[in-house]
Amino acid sequence: MAYLTNLYDTSRCTACRGCQVACKNWNQLPAVIEPFQGNYQTHKDTNGDTYTIVKMIETEDPVDGVIWNFLKYQCMHCFEPACMKVCPRGAYTKTDWGATIHDPDKCIGCQYCTYACPFEIPKYRKREDKIAKCTLCADRVEEGLQPACAATCAPGALMFGDRDELLQYAEDRVKFLRANGFPRATIYGKLELGGLNKIYVLTDTPDKFGLPVNPKIPGQIPFWQDWIQPYLGWLIPIALAGSAVSFVTTRILANKHGEHDEGGHE
Amino acid sequence: MQLLPEYREDIPRVERFNFVARLTHWSHTVTFLLCLFTGLVLFLDSVDWLAAIFGGYAGAGLVHRISAVIMTLSILFFVVFDFKGIINWIKDILRFGINDIKFVMLFPLEFLGFPVKMPPQTRFNGGEKGNSIVTPTCVILLVLSGYIMWFPSIFPAGLVRVAYPIHDIAMVLATVMVCMHAYLGSFHPGSGESFWGMWKGTVRSDWAQHHHAIWYEETYGEKAKTESAD
Repeated sequence: MAYLTNLYDTSRCTACRGCQVACKNWNQLPAVIEPFQGNYQTHKDTNGDTYTIVKMIETEDPVDGVIWNFLKYQCMHCFEPACMKVCPRGAYTKTDWGATIHDPDKCIGCQYCTYACPFEIPKYRKREDKIAKCTLCADRVEEGLQPACAATCAPGALMFGDRDELLQYAEDRVKFLRANGFPRATIYGKLELGGLNKIYVLTDTPDKFGLPVNPKIPGQIPFWQDWIQPYLGWLIPIALAGSAVSFVTTRILANKHGEHDEGGHE
Repeated sequence: MQLLPEYREDIPRVERFNFVARLTHWSHTVTFLLCLFTGLVLFLDSVDWLAAIFGGYAGAGLVHRISAVIMTLSILFFVVFDFKGIINWIKDILRFGINDIKFVMLFPLEFLGFPVKMPPQTRFNGGEKGNSIVTPTCVILLVLSGYIMWFPSIFPAGLVRVAYPIHDIAMVLATVMVCMHAYLGSFHPGSGESFWGMWKGTVRSDWAQHHHAIWYEETYGEKAKTESAD
């Protein structure tokens, strides 16, 4: 099945945060009120009850002056998700159309996924002692609807559909932006981490939007999951087997050589 | 078939471990095993029947955390009430020398039950010295990395990521040592007497003389007696 992707075009976003509200509404998430951060951003980061936020990033450029960038931030639905790799309960699954789904019934709240994720997206929900994150509205998509954020987006910054078609659209859009005053416009999510099921059209380089330029799964995670977990543990049955062998041979040899002397053996 | 050597009161006995050391040892045994089995639930990637023993995954997690706290407290208990014992223990480990190397080299034969003439040993033999280094180091790493994983939000993210593989490596090494230690300290015919040293606190003096000749001479031998008489 073809991948169904959300495309987000920063050049069209007005930071109205309708997507944030629609997300809360559809997923029935309570409001999280955070203290004023000194800018218009509602939350410092996504959290257990806020799957998506619009980041507002101010940068000062010696040539272009002050730039105010908006970025809708949420789970990237990676093709090879690190969260799925580390989860000891197998709570994460990939749908055949590309969404990374977290099953709260299996989750035990260990938060391994939070620290494995290059975007630190899975967040701990304290009231339930579980992890929560964006589902790409799998419940809506499987019924033929668009994700709540895409359905509500008024300026058309969010689009939902076939990944290949949207990539084509994104490339055309980047060409247009480059020719019209955004020479550093770029696509994000096409190749990053082997592909994200989330495509960004950025008007500038990813670092200007607070996105990792070359995201990587932290090196400790594959070392832990691919080497230590599957192989190192075999030392334990080897030690047990060694003890069992000794248990038998010591007693056989004792019969052969006669009982030990008082106070041990020579 | 005889499992443990008989506890003989008719033969003179000498003290090997004091009460604080024994209490620390056995509280550590219980909490370590509880932590081990509740932890294996996740290490082996979701073992439902093992989790069910502790009342499911949440129950196993709770038992793991309670045991871990008691384990931490038992380490602190040992430090507070028998600091001198720890210092003496470390001093004995630092006496690792040629006799210990010979012991470790010959040990596989002894382990399988072949008659071997071992060089005289101090309070802890070469193998016990190794265990005394590896197991406590692993337990300290387990405790530290465990608290980092328990409260990840108050530690730097990089430290949390390193804590996972460290917790696993330390767990495997400590468990390997514990398997060998449990067997050698009980059912192994040669060293099984040391079980009574940790259970009742005393071992047969002839066994001590035979297995830990240097320690016995220094602590209970003629020389030590004359020194204490002075």
